[in-house]
Amino acid sequence: MSIVGIIVNPNAGKDIRRLVTPATHTSDGTKVGIVRRAIVAAFESGATKVLLMPDRHRLSEKAAEGIAGNIVLVDEPLSGTRFDTIAAARRFWKEQVGAVIALGGDGTSRDVAIGWPDAPLIAISTGTNNVYPSAIDGTSAGAAAAFVATGVVSMSDVGRRSKRVVVRVEDGDKSIDDLALVDLAFINSMFTGARAVRDPNTVKAVIAAVATPASTGLSSIAGRIHPVGRWDACGVFVRLGEGGRKVRVPLAPGSFITMEIAEVRPLELGEEITMTGKTILAFDGERDLPVSADGVVTARVEASGPLLIDVEKTLVIAAQSQMFDEQARHVTNKDLYTSPEEN
Amino acid sequence: MDFSSAKQFDLHRRMVRIRLFEEAAGRLAESNKLPGFLHLYVGEEAVASGVCGALNDDDHITSTHRGHGHLVAKGGDFNRMMAELMGKSTGYCKGKGGSMHISDTSLGMLGANGIVGAGSPIAVGAAFANKYRGKGQVAVAFFGDGSTNIGAFHEAANMACALHLPIVFACENNEYGEFTPRDKTMAITDVVDRAAGYGMPGVIVDGMDVIAVHEAAVEAVERARQGGGPSMIEAKTYRFYNHHGVQNLGLKYRSDEEVAIWKQRDPIFTFEDRMIENGVATRANFDDIWAELRADIETAIQFAEDSPYPTPDQIMVNVYTSMTGAN
Repeated sequence: MSIVGIIVNPNAGKDIRRLVTPATHTSDGTKVGIVRRAIVAAFESGATKVLLMPDRHRLSEKAAEGIAGNIVLVDEPLSGTRFDTIAAARRFWKEQVGAVIALGGDGTSRDVAIGWPDAPLIAISTGTNNVYPSAIDGTSAGAAAAFVATGVVSMSDVGRRSKRVVVRVEDGDKSIDDLALVDLAFINSMFTGARAVRDPNTVKAVIAAVATPASTGLSSIAGRIHPVGRWDACGVFVRLGEGGRKVRVPLAPGSFITMEIAEVRPLELGEEITMTGKTILAFDGERDLPVSADGVVTARVEASGPLLIDVEKTLVIAAQSQMFDEQARHVTNKDLYTSPEEN
Repeated sequence: MDFSSAKQFDLHRRMVRIRLFEEAAGRLAESNKLPGFLHLYVGEEAVASGVCGALNDDDHITSTHRGHGHLVAKGGDFNRMMAELMGKSTGYCKGKGGSMHISDTSLGMLGANGIVGAGSPIAVGAAFANKYRGKGQVAVAFFGDGSTNIGAFHEAANMACALHLPIVFACENNEYGEFTPRDKTMAITDVVDRAAGYGMPGVIVDGMDVIAVHEAAVEAVERARQGGGPSMIEAKTYRFYNHHGVQNLGLKYRSDEEVAIWKQRDPIFTFEDRMIENGVATRANFDDIWAELRADIETAIQFAEDSPYPTPDQIMVNVYTSMTGAN
């Protein structure tokens, strides 16, 4: 069985940043279209089964309407929260899915990584200022996922272990393990509120696994003075404050502000940073976890994130293997779609 | 953004005022002391409070059939509101309007509205007037998810964007239009997906989190005030009681489990917990606030009960306006 799993986060691409910046609105219709293209391409390219994450918006169901392939909506209770993604990823692991396609932002990929740490993953950006996922069309993603799931293309050739920030919080009687795939930020705020970190004056420090000047958001702070690429074997720590370089940073799309950096230093993989004091932790750009004044946060960058699939490389190998030739096709359009009468 | 302790207490106070007014109104309705329909706002307090907490006194709002919360959050007077609900001559509409028609132009509250969807075009009119006056006033249209299936909403959204008016569309998406689940009447889930079609930004916030709502409201209002044009905020929220009244009337259109899950996210109690964790307030502070506002409610009930009904000779008075211009 060659199974492709698809996760679509219905909440991505609609947060407060659209009020204050020219960030893109990603409608449900756009997401449905991407998923539909991925399903069709997965079957076209040899997948024998597509597993879909259920969601409160019924995006996956709508995307699958009229497609006659072996499509299964996994049976998981819905919460309407990020835990739906975590549960689906875990289920995909149990079902031995060969490749996962996840639509959303950095946070969605983070949730996949929580549910299935070693997920073979194609992360498609439908969020606001994403670093971890990329702008990939569903057609290419579905095909690449299927070629990996069928074994036509080996993960050892196209999969690469990404990094993550491993986080432990000791706070009173609470002991919490969590992770970020791009950055962990310490925010001087009382509330998680509208989640997105928008006020530069509240950012105390950032630990980034990836920080490039080509990105937008918290990781771009370090990215503008000490770039760390996706595959570099290190991370970077920045502490904001007076006395250092003043850098123009796009904290949100199309929105530049000056941030003063008191300290910046590279982090070796596994090197621990310990921070104390009252804060709100922002994981991959979203305020998420309040920590009390007595709390202790330790974090380190590790090369233990999901296995990211290189879509373009996968398709090149498939082409070199003549997998796009007519005789290699696994289905026809007639096989793929049911007529309206059959629905 | 101002999240001083004073601002936190202000937002909290608005929510508690709404909760206490609505709980009292519900009790009075159940004991047959209030005539007419009653649509309670309990559970949705964070939306009106978070939005109105971002407005000035001379900014305008339009409301819905579930309108008590909006007026309370804008500073409405308990005595006059309760008297109106009882149909007394000391009420906001001199006892002739009842629950769904209260307005207070001195607070910029242009009226609750018994017609679903009818408030949005009125807010557009106010926004047009505000733009014309050039004093930086903003209008907010409160409306429910169900009303966005009605033509008036679409005309309002289109005109607001075409004329680039200083308006915020504040959608209270509580998942049900009366007794019908949202997915039975809409092919989409998020109302903000409609905003883009008119050319305005739309954002989703947690409508059970007054800080999240307030953050978005401050940005949207400021945007409108500075000439940035319309925007939409969709607050995902939930009404704890029935579409109207308190009881379910035997209509089992949502599960007890669903209601219980949403009640765990009570916007007032979760906010109180967070304020205590942050060291901004103590439980004793909140006990005092609730006690003070309960006393205000009891005063309002007594005021309303002691007030006379309008006399028959008043039947045509204040029904039609003689005004030739808006305040």
